[in-house]
Amino acid sequence: MERYDSIWDMYKKKGISRRSFIKTCTAMTALLGLAPTMLPDVVKAAEKRLPVVIWLHGHECTGCSEAFLRSGAPLTSDVILNMIALEYDDTLSAASGEPFENHLQEIMKIYKGQYILAVEGAAPPDPKGGFCMVGGRPFVEEVKEAAAGAAAIIAYGTCATWGGIQAARPNPTQAVSLNEIVGNKPIVNVPGCPPIPEVMTGVIAHYAMFGNLPPLDNKNCPKQFFGNRIHDTCYRRPFFDAGMYANDFNDAGARAGWCLYKLGCRGPETYASCGNMRWWNGLSYPIQSGHGCIGCTSKNFWDNDPFYTRLPEVAGLGLGNIDKIGAVATGALAVGITAHLATSAVQKRKRDQKELEDKKKTAEELDRISRRKD
Amino acid sequence: MKRVVVDPVTRIEGHLRLEVEVDEASGKVNDALSSGTAWRGIETIVKNRDPRDVWAYVQRICGVCTSVHALAAVRAVEDALSIKIPKNAHYVRNIMAGTITAHDHIVHFYHLHALDWVSPIEALKADPKATAAMQDTVLNTYSIPVKNPEGYDFSAYPKAFPKATTAYYKDIQDKIKQLVDSNQLGIFAANWWDHPAYQILPPEVHLMAVSHYLNMLDKQREIVIPHVIFGGKNPHPHYVVGGMSCAISMNDMNAPVNSQRLAAVETAISLAADVVNSFYVPDALAIAHIHAQKGSAIDGGGLAGIRVLGFGSYPDEPFAGHEDFASAALVRCNGVVEDFAQGLNSAKYTELTGKDLEDSAVITENAKHSWYENNDALHPWDGETDPNYTGDKNGNKEKWEYLDKDNKYSWIKTPKWRGRVCEVGPLARYIIVYTKVKKGIITPTWAEEIMIGQIDHVSKLLNLPPEKWLPSTAGRTVARALDAQLAATMEKYFFDKLVKNIGTGDTNIANTLKWEPSSWTNGEFKGVGLYEAPRGALSHWIVIKDKKVKNYQAVVPTTWNACPHDDQSGNGAYELSMIDTHVAIPDKPLEIVRAVRSFDPCLACAAHVYDSKKKTLSMVNTDPYIGSGKV
Repeated sequence: MERYDSIWDMYKKKGISRRSFIKTCTAMTALLGLAPTMLPDVVKAAEKRLPVVIWLHGHECTGCSEAFLRSGAPLTSDVILNMIALEYDDTLSAASGEPFENHLQEIMKIYKGQYILAVEGAAPPDPKGGFCMVGGRPFVEEVKEAAAGAAAIIAYGTCATWGGIQAARPNPTQAVSLNEIVGNKPIVNVPGCPPIPEVMTGVIAHYAMFGNLPPLDNKNCPKQFFGNRIHDTCYRRPFFDAGMYANDFNDAGARAGWCLYKLGCRGPETYASCGNMRWWNGLSYPIQSGHGCIGCTSKNFWDNDPFYTRLPEVAGLGLGNIDKIGAVATGALAVGITAHLATSAVQKRKRDQKELEDKKKTAEELDRISRRKD
Repeated sequence: MKRVVVDPVTRIEGHLRLEVEVDEASGKVNDALSSGTAWRGIETIVKNRDPRDVWAYVQRICGVCTSVHALAAVRAVEDALSIKIPKNAHYVRNIMAGTITAHDHIVHFYHLHALDWVSPIEALKADPKATAAMQDTVLNTYSIPVKNPEGYDFSAYPKAFPKATTAYYKDIQDKIKQLVDSNQLGIFAANWWDHPAYQILPPEVHLMAVSHYLNMLDKQREIVIPHVIFGGKNPHPHYVVGGMSCAISMNDMNAPVNSQRLAAVETAISLAADVVNSFYVPDALAIAHIHAQKGSAIDGGGLAGIRVLGFGSYPDEPFAGHEDFASAALVRCNGVVEDFAQGLNSAKYTELTGKDLEDSAVITENAKHSWYENNDALHPWDGETDPNYTGDKNGNKEKWEYLDKDNKYSWIKTPKWRGRVCEVGPLARYIIVYTKVKKGIITPTWAEEIMIGQIDHVSKLLNLPPEKWLPSTAGRTVARALDAQLAATMEKYFFDKLVKNIGTGDTNIANTLKWEPSSWTNGEFKGVGLYEAPRGALSHWIVIKDKKVKNYQAVVPTTWNACPHDDQSGNGAYELSMIDTHVAIPDKPLEIVRAVRSFDPCLACAAHVYDSKKKTLSMVNTDPYIGSGKV
């Protein structure tokens, strides 16, 4: 079946003139009961086409797709019917088997260089291993092929972003992240196990509204969703600062909603929107439900276990000075917090230094330009 | 004879391939093959870790039936360490279990399964006005009244109710038309919409169901709110060994659970009941009834009519260990029913006790047709899990033509009960409870009474005895709807118990006496966690040695159902269901994918085990699946 990018595209391909197209748009404007001044908007709409999305599934649990379905704003139905054309997705697509695979080939051809590729799951890299076969061939080949023609790639979830659960030691299938398979393309990383639903759809909403990808940090994560640590936005932070902790899940501190740091909370090391956006548009997040953050947006978080051991005692996190915060537990409160604040400032500075410099440069440049105008 | 391949099967969890051999003249399926085409190795990954962390890892076996593996995991660890959880935690877990069951079934029916029955293209032919009238008829004809347990009932009117107006259906129809006209069908693209099976339902049912598809897409998220409140998020809410983390207090402003949070849970539970009662049950029944009247989808029963298995569901109060699990259950589907399709008189029930599960003679496992070494049918105690991926029939490992059905063809193994394959799932639960009650083996609990009432209601409606309609593709789909209705009732029941218990002054949420590993003795401890998950009987098996996980095995519903055939016992549930299904057009095997989707396949669950080192899966005497590298 022939496909068209828009009504205008259809007219072009059928050899119908621009004049006829404008005439049709005029008729549509009247039909829709719009004022004649709205004609340019109708023309624009008729020229417009929903961005095509291909969503592939590798080594995953489909939890990210399920999270995507839970989005409250934008609503999932609006996303998949009015923001994008989700032309290929194992979870939601009606078709199966051969016609489905043929459809994928067709879509990749027609929209070459234009479609968005969303990938959920890690990839076992050995094509002969048989670890992840889709349509009778290795997933790793399918994803490489789809990535080649993509305009943009979104890695949804910690598995696609960092390798995730199957890549935890001893990584039985040698699973790797999308970035390690598709090295030569920009990838938007949206980690989380799963990510917050509105973070997932938020990336698409950004694209639908502004026509480009959201600004990214140095790990290719959208800044607006991964710019702060949970610790910095946590409603229990004042209890941390005051040295008030839950010591076990059934004590007075747990009931009072005090800081979960001593029960292993990874909030101080985890960049995510759990503290500000929260889940279900503000309803809760793990810490609000009494459980420490397990750091599910972080690289290799599965191997930063045991989860109930507090941060400084976890080997391999490389927290440096933050070790001193262990002293909090033994009573040297002031020292611990000072050390913590210093560390946190250092981390923040490192992370944002380049960005700040860039911002400064831009501001100065703008300043110069405006002065020149005067 | 034509060999037809469906790969990938979409609208499921994970990677599944089906191959069927169809007689083109008669439409009869002579042979069928089900293959799990991926695995990840999570049980190996949890080894040597802190047993208190295991729930988080194994929860990631599956994000569709999220939280079920976490629940089975904490139960397994608590069983091993003899930890009895507080009442509040037990009730919260049961509310969460009911929540995921209702939610998972709703999403399965509307978003994974519906498009096997319903077509947006057919919906374009509907008259919106007639659809509005028909919606009324569907509600009147196909609702099943279920009495809620006595208790709190704050819902003044149904918050979710079908919008049966002409304008609404017209709007939906216009939207579908726009998608079709723009030639950007998105998720509806490339399906076999011209298949005659889509002509069975009148266009108005298609329009109604597509509307509900969209409506439910946005509603389902609200149903799962109890997970977000008690577990902090969904998918993958948080659990803790010994109870839950959601501390309860009416005296603290920042408490995870207070009066307002409980009210929010209650609101979500009422919504789940509204959705199941006003949408799901009537829709599923209407579709099944119209199909059954035309002789469609009442095949595909397969193994369901021959042998089904369950563990028991919804323990009423905290239980001591796996031995006490079944006796504490409100739904006592712990056992096997054989030959249900022959009628109640011929149906044979065999109990499955906690002791049986420990008995290595009860369950064996066969890896002959799975991509592991050692072709012998091994007792799980002696099981080995050396991967031996052999590719397709011609030994091609990267590009398959047909799989090698006489040899190895799946990452899923074949679990057996007393040497025989079994089907598990909501259908199994209903068959077992119905058989036990009608044969007078048990006096029904209030929950079992609901189940019997539901079956009798449907039998009357379809004018068919249970042994005719239950073991079928339509029966499996209807049983899942009934199970969702029961789950919503369970949520309510345990919510009431939770509130009443908190009202007595008990705010305990976790038993932390054995929280610190320093309170455990060194040595070896074994446990098993049981749970009737949305897709059926689930068991997690743990061996803790010197405070670390020595071994871990998860035996999941889709392993039972999607397994390769066994040389002695024959085909597993998927394969037998396909063989039992008539195919109208071999090139468009809609009936085949419909039959398999009626099981709600969850492949990441079924094929998740990997152990590269030979014989490292040494097992324990509580584990009938020993060393098998269960998939």
